[in-house]
Amino acid sequence: MRGRRLRSGRWRQVPAGMRDQTREDVAARRRVEARLHEVFARWGYSEVATPTLEYLDTFLRAAGPAFADRLMKLVDTGGEMLALRPEMTVPIARLAATRLLPGGAGPLRVSYIATVFRGQEAGSGRLREFTQAGAELIGDGSAHADIEMIALAAEALQTARPHQATISLSHAGFLRGILSTLSDDDAEMAQDLLYRRAFAELERVVPAGPALDVLRLVPALRGPDALERAAPLAVSAESRAALAALRVALDGVAAHDLGVRVEVDLGLIRDFDYYTGIVFEAHAGRVGQPLLGGGRYDGLVGRFGHAAPATGFALSVERLLEAGAVVEAGRATIVMRYPDDRYGRAVRVARRLRDAGLGVVMVPVGAPHGVSDAACTVTIGDDGFDVSANGERAGGESGGLADRVRSALEADEWTA
Amino acid sequence: MDGLTIALPTGRLWDDASEMLRRAGVALGPAAGSRQLLIECPGGVRVLATKPTDLLVYVEQGAADAGIVGRDMILEQSRDVYELLDLGFGACRAVVAFPRDRAEALWQPGRLLRMATKYPRLTARYFEEQERPVEIVVLYGSVELAPQVGLSDGIVDLVMSGGTLRANRLQEVAEIATSTARLVVNRASLSCSPRVMEFVDALRAAVSPTVSTTRA
Repeated sequence: MRGRRLRSGRWRQVPAGMRDQTREDVAARRRVEARLHEVFARWGYSEVATPTLEYLDTFLRAAGPAFADRLMKLVDTGGEMLALRPEMTVPIARLAATRLLPGGAGPLRVSYIATVFRGQEAGSGRLREFTQAGAELIGDGSAHADIEMIALAAEALQTARPHQATISLSHAGFLRGILSTLSDDDAEMAQDLLYRRAFAELERVVPAGPALDVLRLVPALRGPDALERAAPLAVSAESRAALAALRVALDGVAAHDLGVRVEVDLGLIRDFDYYTGIVFEAHAGRVGQPLLGGGRYDGLVGRFGHAAPATGFALSVERLLEAGAVVEAGRATIVMRYPDDRYGRAVRVARRLRDAGLGVVMVPVGAPHGVSDAACTVTIGDDGFDVSANGERAGGESGGLADRVRSALEADEWTA
Repeated sequence: MDGLTIALPTGRLWDDASEMLRRAGVALGPAAGSRQLLIECPGGVRVLATKPTDLLVYVEQGAADAGIVGRDMILEQSRDVYELLDLGFGACRAVVAFPRDRAEALWQPGRLLRMATKYPRLTARYFEEQERPVEIVVLYGSVELAPQVGLSDGIVDLVMSGGTLRANRLQEVAEIATSTARLVVNRASLSCSPRVMEFVDALRAAVSPTVSTTRA
């Protein structure tokens, strides 16, 4: 009986990790999304869209079987396993390799804003549906591409002006180069600990030696002089090449004058193992999780049949909103009241105001209008109309709107 | 604005953890942790007294910049935090144990076992690695009781001295993991707050005063 009662009330709730979004939430999000679209377009990135659902195989092919645990899955009518996309890089890699790259001239600059889904555990405090905005530059393996992506990420961040934003840079080759000096077994165990960020465990697993000496210091290899401090620790050619690439990227990024702090953090380890080169993440003061992350993934596109170097990033729109201060009041709405026998005139006046870009809700005189923050009221009378601003602030926003309404209407004799 | 928030676990690690904090330069008042859960310390440091099971959520979500917690919790919860230091105290082991008289018979490969534990994920992972079938009964209190009254075949739990196992006529058959107290740090705090790295260095010095700090 108890189970039945619980189930019958479930329609009041939404599934764990999912959210309803009210007017204000959506208005703020749309504002940021519009700015992001604008930034992407100004950098020559054109928007693409892929289906919400992909075959499970697509993600496993890209990121390995362990990835399946993090997906929301369902079974198609024919029995195939489908997955809700957990991110957009893999679908875009698939799209690029199978549709965009064959026959086309590279490189590709594409962007997206899309909802993504993760199979997070209920109660973990994490969203299972959220919005990512991002860009991918496919077919350009140069340092210029890395720098462009970091600069674009910084500009995307600035759409919400997050407090104390920092972009951390690292290079997958630095740690890979250090691990390559270990035996295969030790390297695998160390890699696993690094993915879990269990630095304190490394000393128990990795034998004493130059590799351990470096790994121990990795979390502290950050900040303005990180490259200088790391240089004597680079025990392999791959690690040295990684540091050189980071130096080039830092210098290139400095030319952009980004307004966001950019620094090297060699302890940065990205969650997806498809990264091959420069990787980066952005954090802000008030949010405990990264706002955006990305980097170079030269092997991924090739897994879908058309090899191409690539780099990109994904930004969490929800976290960006949390970190920034985007207040969006929404469009000012005018309530238009009309007597029943003046409906025709009211419609003409409303059309006029709507064409002028104003929001209008029409209601008969005396009926409730349901607009919680009506900026002004236009009442249609027998001979003309009356405009009254709502709210106390004479000459303020509402007063200004009333003036706009008057000037939009009084220009024409037809309203009389 | 540049404060520092540190989460400490109530319970068995509290005394050692607050002593370690004191050696790192953060002094807690005498009432701290018993009733007072949010403690303001000199120098803009705030200490949160949280349940050990809750601590990693505070750090992962950024409500605390750093925290001290047993490795058992880190293994059980797989949270997205940086585990930076082994603080050495609070040593214990996670073990599989059965009633003494049946231990050998029960711990046969392939036998389906019902295991009572506070660590369902650690247990599931271990039995999967061992390729042993298992049913897990999640309890929040003294799991040693469960096999004595037929609720489970055995237990997976933390032991320090082994006294509790002996008192309940249980016998250890396998060790799953060893645990000590660890310093965990929020990802963003590590990037955005220089005070966090200073705190890590102070704590590192407090753990092993002879070893120099992380700065190379």
